Amino acid sequence: MQKDATLDARGLMCPMPIVQLAKKVKELNSGQVLELLADDVGAKEDVPAWCSRTGHQLVGTEENGKLLKFYIKMK
Amino acid sequence: MTDKMCMVVSEGTFDKAYMPLIMGTTAASMGTEVHVFYTFFGTKLLKKTAKPKLPGMFRLFTGMFLKRMKKVGILSHDEMVKQAMDMGVSFYACSTTMGLMGIQESDLKPGVKVLGAAAFLKMAGESKTTLFIG
Repeated sequence: MQKDATLDARGLMCPMPIVQLAKKVKELNSGQVLELLADDVGAKEDVPAWCSRTGHQLVGTEENGKLLKFYIKMK
Repeated sequence: MTDKMCMVVSEGTFDKAYMPLIMGTTAASMGTEVHVFYTFFGTKLLKKTAKPKLPGMFRLFTGMFLKRMKKVGILSHDEMVKQAMDMGVSFYACSTTMGLMGIQESDLKPGVKVLGAAAFLKMAGESKTTLFIG
């Protein structure tokens, strides 16, 4: 999937991936797509919840073993 | 209007120390304004020298636990408070408890405000969510 930036949150546990994500989106512009890499199982539910709460759009997810990939389009 | 969330922390053990920090930083990451009010044994968590210990166990076990936490990448209590403050979470110490426990304003971590119950209840009244951690 096309992306403008990547945030590697592998090895971080809840709530750090979400905290890092909130910090990272401040650097991005509307319409850009951020790729988030995580391996915290909690992220599977947390990232969609964060997106619905903040208004950023989750445009895709991939799961490869323990590795989770999220693609988030900035509002 | 921004969403508001309040928490009351009345215990000073390790678990009660981390819960509001994890909830608070997460809520702040989701764009919520967060206020955490520490009272009774919770108040000592706001001291500069705060080192919360696991409930019902010797310090030794807490030390082992801390090592394990560091290994899996969880921040220390002090670092978590700093991070939460950076994200805009507000921390308050209960004025009455401070008097009761002999905690001075100068003993508190920088950035902590001292409040009474009425001021906190006003904030809680304006919040969608209020959690009690005790």
